Amino acid sequence: MLTLNLHDYKGLFTAYTELRVQENRSVNITFVKGNNTLNLRSSTGGISARVCRNGSWGFASHPGISEENVKTVIRAATDNALFLDSKEQKEKDPLPAVPASSENDFSTSRPRLSQKDLVEFIRELDDHIASSYPQLAGRTLSLRCLDMEKRLLTSDGSYSHSMIPRSFIYIQLSVIKNGSPVELFDVYGGLGQFEDQFSAPGDLFEEVARQYHHLIKKSEGVFADAGLKTCVLDADLAGILAHEAIGHTVEADIVMSGSVAGDKIGREVASPLITMIDFANSYQGETCPVPVYVDDEGTAAKDAVLIKEGVLKSFLHNKESANHYRVAPAGNARAYAYSDEPLIRMRNTVILPGTSTLEAMIASVDDGYYLIRPGNGQADSTSEFMFGIVLGYEIKKGKIGRAIKDTTISGVAFDVLKTVSMVSGEMSWMSGGMCGKKQPIPVGMGGPAIKCQLNVGGR
Amino acid sequence: MDNLREIARDGLNELLKAGAGKAACSLTLIDKQELNVDLGEPSLLRTIFDASVNLVAIKDQKKGSTAVNRTDRSALRQAAADVLAIATAAAPDEAHDIAEAQPPAEFSSGGSRPDLDKMYSRMKELLREVGARYPRVVIRQAILDFTRTKKYFLNSNGVDFVTSKGIYRCLVFFCSREGERISSFNITGFSLKDLEQELLDCGSLDTLLRQSTEQITTHPLQGKFTGEVIITPDCLEDLIGFLTGAISDGPFISGTSIYRDKLNRQVAAPLFSLHSRPLDNEICDGYFVTADGYAARNSTIVEKGVLKSFLLSLYGSRKTGRPRAANDGGAYVVDPGETDFSDMVRSVEKGILLARFSGGEPSENGDFAGVAKNSYLIEGGEIKYPLSESMISGNFAELLMNITAVSRERINFGNAILPWISASGVTVSGK
Repeated sequence: MLTLNLHDYKGLFTAYTELRVQENRSVNITFVKGNNTLNLRSSTGGISARVCRNGSWGFASHPGISEENVKTVIRAATDNALFLDSKEQKEKDPLPAVPASSENDFSTSRPRLSQKDLVEFIRELDDHIASSYPQLAGRTLSLRCLDMEKRLLTSDGSYSHSMIPRSFIYIQLSVIKNGSPVELFDVYGGLGQFEDQFSAPGDLFEEVARQYHHLIKKSEGVFADAGLKTCVLDADLAGILAHEAIGHTVEADIVMSGSVAGDKIGREVASPLITMIDFANSYQGETCPVPVYVDDEGTAAKDAVLIKEGVLKSFLHNKESANHYRVAPAGNARAYAYSDEPLIRMRNTVILPGTSTLEAMIASVDDGYYLIRPGNGQADSTSEFMFGIVLGYEIKKGKIGRAIKDTTISGVAFDVLKTVSMVSGEMSWMSGGMCGKKQPIPVGMGGPAIKCQLNVGGR
Repeated sequence: MDNLREIARDGLNELLKAGAGKAACSLTLIDKQELNVDLGEPSLLRTIFDASVNLVAIKDQKKGSTAVNRTDRSALRQAAADVLAIATAAAPDEAHDIAEAQPPAEFSSGGSRPDLDKMYSRMKELLREVGARYPRVVIRQAILDFTRTKKYFLNSNGVDFVTSKGIYRCLVFFCSREGERISSFNITGFSLKDLEQELLDCGSLDTLLRQSTEQITTHPLQGKFTGEVIITPDCLEDLIGFLTGAISDGPFISGTSIYRDKLNRQVAAPLFSLHSRPLDNEICDGYFVTADGYAARNSTIVEKGVLKSFLLSLYGSRKTGRPRAANDGGAYVVDPGETDFSDMVRSVEKGILLARFSGGEPSENGDFAGVAKNSYLIEGGEIKYPLSESMISGNFAELLMNITAVSRERINFGNAILPWISASGVTVSGK
C-alpha cells in the first residue's frame, strides 16, 4: 500500500511540513471458554500532513492513498495552519532541524502463517488449558498482532521508512472461590511478527502452568493491609514504575504545564542507586521492544538519560519543546495512526540494574509485600502515580507469605525513588500494553527488582 | 450519497458472491474538524477525513470479519475474499448469526457542517473566562471538535439502515498552579448539538475548574477509616462501568459474571435506577443502530435497584440463551433522587467526596482499590479540605447495594445524565 514516492510532493511544501503515509495492520483472534468469539483482520491506513506556520499548526489526513489526496491533505493542513496563524500570530522561532534518514523493517523472514494456522494455534493452547486445569471457571485467550508501517518525509530533509510489528497472546484465567470469581491475567510476546515470537503452543505451557499456580494461590489470598509499606517490586514491575512515576513527569509538555519536575534539572530526585534512561532503539546491543530510529517529526532518535545516579538530567522532547528549552530533540515525537499528529511519548523507559539479588531483597523485609504483576497505571501532574497490582504476596520476616487480592499501589514519584534501598542485577522488559495520552501508543518499559516504600490500597 | 449506498451494497454482494451464507457490510464516512488548545493557547487545527468498512461473513456457522478504511471497489473485492478466508479458518459456532430483517430506515441527528469561526470564538471565550475567573488554572489541553458521520448498514437478511449524525464534542484537561505548588490534573468532557451555550457553562466544567484551584493546597489523610463516599457525576461512570461490564457478553460466556442469576433480583439499593437511552431527546450524542444491525431502543437496566436487563449482543444472547439487549449500552441516564446535594453532604459523619478514581481495573467480583483524586474529606456534615495521597478500597457490587442517597441535581454530559450518589462502606486510607 505504501507505493507513493513522497519526494515527488516536496514542491508542494510552503512551510515546515511533515508528510506521512502509514498503515496499521492488525489481527485479533479471541477464544472465550473455548468459543471463537472474535476472528478479525483489519487494516487502517492513509496519508497525513502537518504544517507549522510561526508556531501555529495545521493537520489533515485522508484514508485514500493517491496523488490527488496527497495534494488535498497538504493543502488542507496548510490552510489550517494559516487559519490559526492569522488569528494567533505567535511569531515563534523556526523549529530545530535534525535531519535523518533510515530504513528499518522488522518483517519476519519466515513463511507467514495463515489465519487458519493462527486460529489453530490459539485453539490448541486453549484445549491444553481446558484439559490441564479443569478447575478453571473461565478462560480468555486473545492473540493480538499489530504491524505499524510508516513512510515520512519532512521539509527539513528527513526521510524514513519503518515497519515495526508486535505480537502478543493475552491469557486470563479465572476460578470461582466462595461463589465469587478470582482472575489472573498475563501477557506473552513482544517485538516482531507472530512467526518470530511464537513457534509452538507447547512453548507457552510452562508459563501458563506458572500463571495457574499463582491464580490458585491468589484465590486463597487476603486483602492487603492498607497503608505505607515496604515493598519489593519484581523486575516485571520496575518498568511500569519507571514509566508512570518518572517517565510521564518528565515529558516536556507535562513539564511546561507545571509538572513538579520543572525546576529539578540537576537536582537529586532519587536514590543514587537509580539511573533511568529512555532508550531509542537498543540496549546493550539488543533491540528494544519498541525501537524508534527516526521519530514522526523526522528527528534522529537518541537515548535520553533522564536520571543519572539519582540526579535529574533531562526531559523528553518534541521539536517545539526542545526549542522552548533550547536543547536538541532526541526523537520522542510519535503518532499512533495515520490520522494522528505526533505527541511527546516515551519509547523504552528503564531503570538500570544494580547489584543486589531478589532473594536478598525479600529476606531483608520484615513485614511488607512482594509485588509481581502490574495492571493499568496512571500518573499525575503532582507526580503522584498509581498502578494496579494483579499478583503479589505478603513478606513476613523475610519469607514469602500468603498471596494478596488485587490492589493498587501509589506514591509521589520523587519521594518513592528516594526510598529505594536495593536494586537487583536482573533486567526484565514489558511491552504488552499501550500508553494512553490523547492517542494510544506502544511503549517498552523495563528494569530490575526494586525495594522501596509505597502506599498500598487495601482494607 | 447514493453512490456510497451502492458501495456498501457492492461490499455485501461481494461477500455473498465469495460464498458467504450470511453477510453484513457497514460503511462509515467520517469528517472531523478539531481545534486543539495546548498550555492555554490554540495550537493546532486538524481536518480528518476517514472511512471504515466492516465486513462480516458467516459460512457453515464459521464467522470472519475484517475492517478496512478504503472504499474503492477493488479494495472491497479483496476484503470480501479475505473475510471468507478468515471465516473458513474459524471454529464453527451455532451462536453466530446476523440481525433479522427490519423495515429500512434513515436516521439523522445534529448539524451537517461545523461553524469553524464559532468553534474558535467559543474556545477563545473559554480561555478568557477561565483566565478571569480562575487565574491559577492551567488549561493543559482542550479539544473542541465537530464530527460528521454517515453510516450505511446492510445485511443479507435485508437490513438497510442509514444514519447521519453531526456532533460537537469538547474535552478539557487542566490543573492549577501557584508558585511551586500544583494541583492534581482533572479532566471532563461533554457533547453538544450546537455551540449556542458558553463552554464554561456546559457539563461540570465550571465546578471542576473552581475545585481545581482549591486543590492546590491539599492534606494527606492520616490513618484509615470506613465511611461514606459521595461519588460525583464525573466519577460515577466507573461504578456504572463495573455493572454494565459484568452484564455483558464476556463474563456471561465465560460464566463468571456475578450477575448471571440476578435478573429481576435486587442488585442495588431501591433508590437507584439506571437506563440506557441512546434515543432520548436529552441525549444529543446517542445512536440509532446497534453494532449487530438492529434499530436501537431505549432500555432500563436497573429499576429501583432491581436488575431488569442484561447487555448481551446477538451472539451473547444466542450463546447463553438469554435475551438480546435493546441497545449497545452507553447513553446512561440515572434517575434523580429526592436529596439535595447539600443535604447529602450534611448527612455524612465521616467520608469523602470522590471526584476522580485513579485505580487498577476492578476485579470481576467488584473489589476495587485506587487513589482518590481531586477529592475532599467530609467530616461532621461539612466538606473540610482537598485530599492528597489518600486511597480508597471496597467492592463495587456492595457499593451499589449500600447506596444511601441520590441527588436531585444531575449533570447532562450530552452522552450521559448523571447525579451525585452517596454510599456507605468504603475504606479510606492515608499514610
